[in-house]
Amino acid sequence: MQVFLAQLINGLSLGSIYVLLVTGFNLLLLVAMIIHFSYPQVVVFSMYIAWVVLRYTGNSIPLAVLASVGSSILINLASAPIFQKIMKNREEVDINSTMVVSLGIGMIITDVLSHGFNNGLPIAFPQEVVGEAALFRVGLISLQYGQVASLAVGALAVSGVFLLLYKTRSGRAFRAIAEDPSGARLVGIPLLSTGLQSYALSGLLGGLIAVLLALMLGYASPGLGEQVAHKVLAVSIIAGLGNLPGGLVVGLALGILEALVQGYISGSWSNGIAFVVLLLVVLIRPRGLFGIKL
Amino acid sequence: MPLLLYYFLSITAINILMSWALYLPYRVAHLHFLTVANMAISGYLSGWLVQSLRLPFGVALLAGFAAGTLVGYAVSLFIGEAPTFTVVIVGFTFIYISRTVIENTPAVGGTLGMFGLPLVWSTPEGHRWTILIILGVMLLLIGFLIHRFEHSRLGRAASAVFVDKDLATSFGVDIKKLGMLLQTFASAVAGGCGVLYGFIYRSFHLDFFTFHLVGLFMTIIFVGGYATMWGTVVAAPVLYGLSLLLPPAVASWRIVIYGAILVGVLVLKPEGFITRRLAVNVERLLSSKRKS
Amino acid sequence: MAATEPLLRVDKLSVSYGQISALSAVDLEVYPGEIVVLIGANGAGKTTLLETALGINVPRAGTVSFRGRVISGQAADRNVRAGLCLVPEGRGVFAAMSVLDNLLLGAHHNLRHVERNLERVYRWFPILEQRRKQIARTLSGGERQMLAIGRALMSAPKLIMVDEPSLGLAPIVVNDIFQILVKLNQEGYTILLAEQNAYKSLKCAHRGYVLETGRMILEGTARKLLEDPGVRAAYIGA
Repeated sequence: MQVFLAQLINGLSLGSIYVLLVTGFNLLLLVAMIIHFSYPQVVVFSMYIAWVVLRYTGNSIPLAVLASVGSSILINLASAPIFQKIMKNREEVDINSTMVVSLGIGMIITDVLSHGFNNGLPIAFPQEVVGEAALFRVGLISLQYGQVASLAVGALAVSGVFLLLYKTRSGRAFRAIAEDPSGARLVGIPLLSTGLQSYALSGLLGGLIAVLLALMLGYASPGLGEQVAHKVLAVSIIAGLGNLPGGLVVGLALGILEALVQGYISGSWSNGIAFVVLLLVVLIRPRGLFGIKL
Repeated sequence: MPLLLYYFLSITAINILMSWALYLPYRVAHLHFLTVANMAISGYLSGWLVQSLRLPFGVALLAGFAAGTLVGYAVSLFIGEAPTFTVVIVGFTFIYISRTVIENTPAVGGTLGMFGLPLVWSTPEGHRWTILIILGVMLLLIGFLIHRFEHSRLGRAASAVFVDKDLATSFGVDIKKLGMLLQTFASAVAGGCGVLYGFIYRSFHLDFFTFHLVGLFMTIIFVGGYATMWGTVVAAPVLYGLSLLLPPAVASWRIVIYGAILVGVLVLKPEGFITRRLAVNVERLLSSKRKS
Repeated sequence: MAATEPLLRVDKLSVSYGQISALSAVDLEVYPGEIVVLIGANGAGKTTLLETALGINVPRAGTVSFRGRVISGQAADRNVRAGLCLVPEGRGVFAAMSVLDNLLLGAHHNLRHVERNLERVYRWFPILEQRRKQIARTLSGGERQMLAIGRALMSAPKLIMVDEPSLGLAPIVVNDIFQILVKLNQEGYTILLAEQNAYKSLKCAHRGYVLETGRMILEGTARKLLEDPGVRAAYIGA
């Protein structure tokens, strides 16, 4: 029972990271009208930036967080003109072009990480930052700093996104574009600048996710981005592309599944089993569990 | 023959064949990355057949084709008419899973891989020529089949599906069957390529079948031109030759360079260098010359 | 009324969708304080004209001027900010969003006076205040049209373009909508109205234009058009 609870908490922490990733991905899909397959790779790149900053500033966490968020936002905004240029029009998602371009961007990021940082070896985040010590312990259940942070920040970030969507001017514009891009245009919503806002917002989320991943995993590698990207896309497909609440459910479910496998079977199989389960669900329901928006 | 030439010709042939394998399902907007997994599966299977069961190369090659066909067919039953991103994610997941399985299977060498596979001919020179001849035959055969496909009713149906799936369905195109056909054929070709790829080097290693291959083949198709089969024929030798000509320090960054070229082409020349119009004009020119 | 400068002026406007010509050398003027009706059958080009004026399409030739400045080719949101707005046919409402959110969307460029404008819209359309928390999908056809007009009013426009307000609505509701438009005009809003329903719209307008397959074939005062035999035959019917 204790193992179950411990792993449940683990799973929720991991799951909230997946939820954040899917949310960032969906934002870009619904508002910027792009499939950004390599969004998780931008996140991992920000992890590396944070790691570099930690090294050069004597483990200053605030600076690392700032650097991570900053680099994420910058990369997203820098890639915006590329996506804009290849999109046929701003009112429809051009799946083929945006997917291929984002795969290309992902290629570049992953290989830059393989060659430009630490000779391609995985990077480890310093212990003082990640913190092995448990904040709270009851039998086998120990809440580590990293887990608490992911859960807390994750919950805050997701609520923040929903608040933004439903209570702010930008959020209204986002929802309008998500529902009907050409209708939004007719009503006078600026598609371009609102789209750019979504790049920035998902960049902000991405930077936060990078920090959370660093806390939870304690390491990063060039291949991490690809792995996570595949899982995130699979989660998006299963939840239904553009389905924010669906992404919440499926993201958490995947996190819990992985954690349970880690706890009961073995750590090295958790990835493999996760992929097998994802594959089976996608094969059985190629259009997702809750239907597809596109 | 000089070793460098051997590697250049054989690897370029594999690249063309694999890019064709990826090109064909893309005619209906499927990025069928499962083909890279097919390479790995059939490749390692053939290696095991030859090394552990001491079967002749020819049998192993056929087994590779068969494995590719079977896997491709089985998967296409599910994703024959799936949306593009589903096809992509199925492909990626398969690559990941097959790599993990191979990694953990001592019978095929696990992380170390397989080495010292027997020659397919009595001499090393003979081995190289045999491989090249097989590749050459495959190029001609597959190229011919694709060419016939393009100019057939099915090829036109595929173009319709690419542009507008629903419209094509209303014209009576069976999208699932078409998708299954293209995917199965692509996987079959990929299976054979996987076998040959290993036998070029007489070894199999997981490093051969990474996601880098996905990037490479995508770059070849989209830079060469995804609308015709000739794009890959031009782009494959050029891109591979480019990486060989670069100084070694720069060459290790070749994936970044490929990625940059890919993004650049998508932005500046979205249809690639060999566009449909260019290919049609050249064909028209050649056929009019033939008539006169 | 005609001595002042036109609020909206369309000059030899030609618009094509690819190879297909939707509008050919069309002229149109709307003066402040008028209700101008644009009559035409389905496919005549009315929506194209309104959408091009708004800034959705870039014309192949000719210009659109608003308040004396040429705006053709400018993005739609800029023009909305300058006081031009459109109540599109069948689409001015986001069904998944609440009534209030829809109205606030209209104020996207004009949030400074949002409370005041909201008050005003609620005065015009009390039913919208009643239903302000409801999802727009739950509104009736007439209520949705009111919401679309209310949304346009939130941007405090100088000129409201309305595309086929009567489409899909029951005749009684259509009368209500036209009454609202007349009252808005009496309050000072200038309105450009595109309609298939020539009779009802000409009865409340000052001037009108007739558009046929992309060409302006007739213009004049509303009365003159109502009495024109050609117009009667084609658009008013027996």
